[in-house]
Amino acid sequence: MPPAIIHKRMAMKIINLHSLCLAAAAAWLFWNPAAKADPADASDPQVDMQIDDQPGYQPSAEEEQLAGPFERQIVFFRTTEAPGTIVVHTADRYLYLVQPNNRAIRYGIGVGRDGFQWAGIRKIIQKQEWPDWRPPPEMIQRQPYLPRFMAGGPGNPMGARALYIGGTVYRIHGTNQPQTIGHAVSSGCFRLVNADVTDLYDRVPVGTKIVVKQAADL
Amino acid sequence: MPMSLPSTRSFIIATASLFALALAGCNANQSIDAGAQQGVPATPSKIAAERLVGRWGVAAYHQDSARQRTEAEARRQCSNPYTIKAGQNGGVVMHLADQSEPQELFLKGSASGSTYLGPAGMAAVSADREIVAISDNSFTIKWVSPDNSSRYGTMVYIRCP
Repeated sequence: MPPAIIHKRMAMKIINLHSLCLAAAAAWLFWNPAAKADPADASDPQVDMQIDDQPGYQPSAEEEQLAGPFERQIVFFRTTEAPGTIVVHTADRYLYLVQPNNRAIRYGIGVGRDGFQWAGIRKIIQKQEWPDWRPPPEMIQRQPYLPRFMAGGPGNPMGARALYIGGTVYRIHGTNQPQTIGHAVSSGCFRLVNADVTDLYDRVPVGTKIVVKQAADL
Repeated sequence: MPMSLPSTRSFIIATASLFALALAGCNANQSIDAGAQQGVPATPSKIAAERLVGRWGVAAYHQDSARQRTEAEARRQCSNPYTIKAGQNGGVVMHLADQSEPQELFLKGSASGSTYLGPAGMAAVSADREIVAISDNSFTIKWVSPDNSSRYGTMVYIRCP
């Protein structure tokens, strides 16, 4: 894709907030004590990446191939959680799928912006291939011509798979913006590149326990 | 005998097209956006603008397999409808892609039989949408610009009660 088109898209005033992760997010954060943001993150240079969603953009295979620490890998991981549990370290931008023998599969993730981060123990209650995307009301207000619903598929901001986190408005989902992995960019959801969220989706059944932590245990 | 409303609309579009052609001729040395669609001469539209006026639930899809589901979703979006009003010059007041303010757009026919919706002037230009299907209670558009099309997909409008 020509760089000019990419830049044009980057400049688009099209959203930042994700469908169901959006509108209710602020309200949920307000009444759920476990969902308070960590003010220490304000000093993190990775907090609040300023990038709008890019509906329709389909990244290349090269763009989707993460390198370095955010590349999917097996790591040493000491925890009391049972194998099969998902552990998210928001501050580190990692999601771990616990494996036997003090190991875990580690995925690089994008997390909620300052004010949209949360912690708690939940369960995966639903899984969805190619989830649909609904621009939030505030986005519709800014851009009244936008469709109120965009069917899932390649180029959809919600990516290839979604795992719904019970008791919240949040999801683990894919993205068509691989460059946002490692950043605080969402409204509280956790985003993985499509290959990673598909890998996780295939490994994780409904009912899986998910532990979301603001910071890793020392 | 006074012109009927459709004739008046056709006259306005034809005049606007000629004016646009004249302007283009006056600016032959002006640089042209390589990505822009140059369009084709507009002919009177076979679709009356009044058919688009109203409140619509709007949804979009990129893959034909999602069309039926998208239509159902568009119907559910009437709690947050998109309103199309009649324009003062025979068009309809709508937004162009990426424009925050609505403006009067016109239905434009073409020699191929396709109908476009966009600013007065040539048909099938980048800013236009093509109306690919229409009935009393719905219409479907595709964006002429590949960029707009990839971002917004095929959009389905279902009339709200």
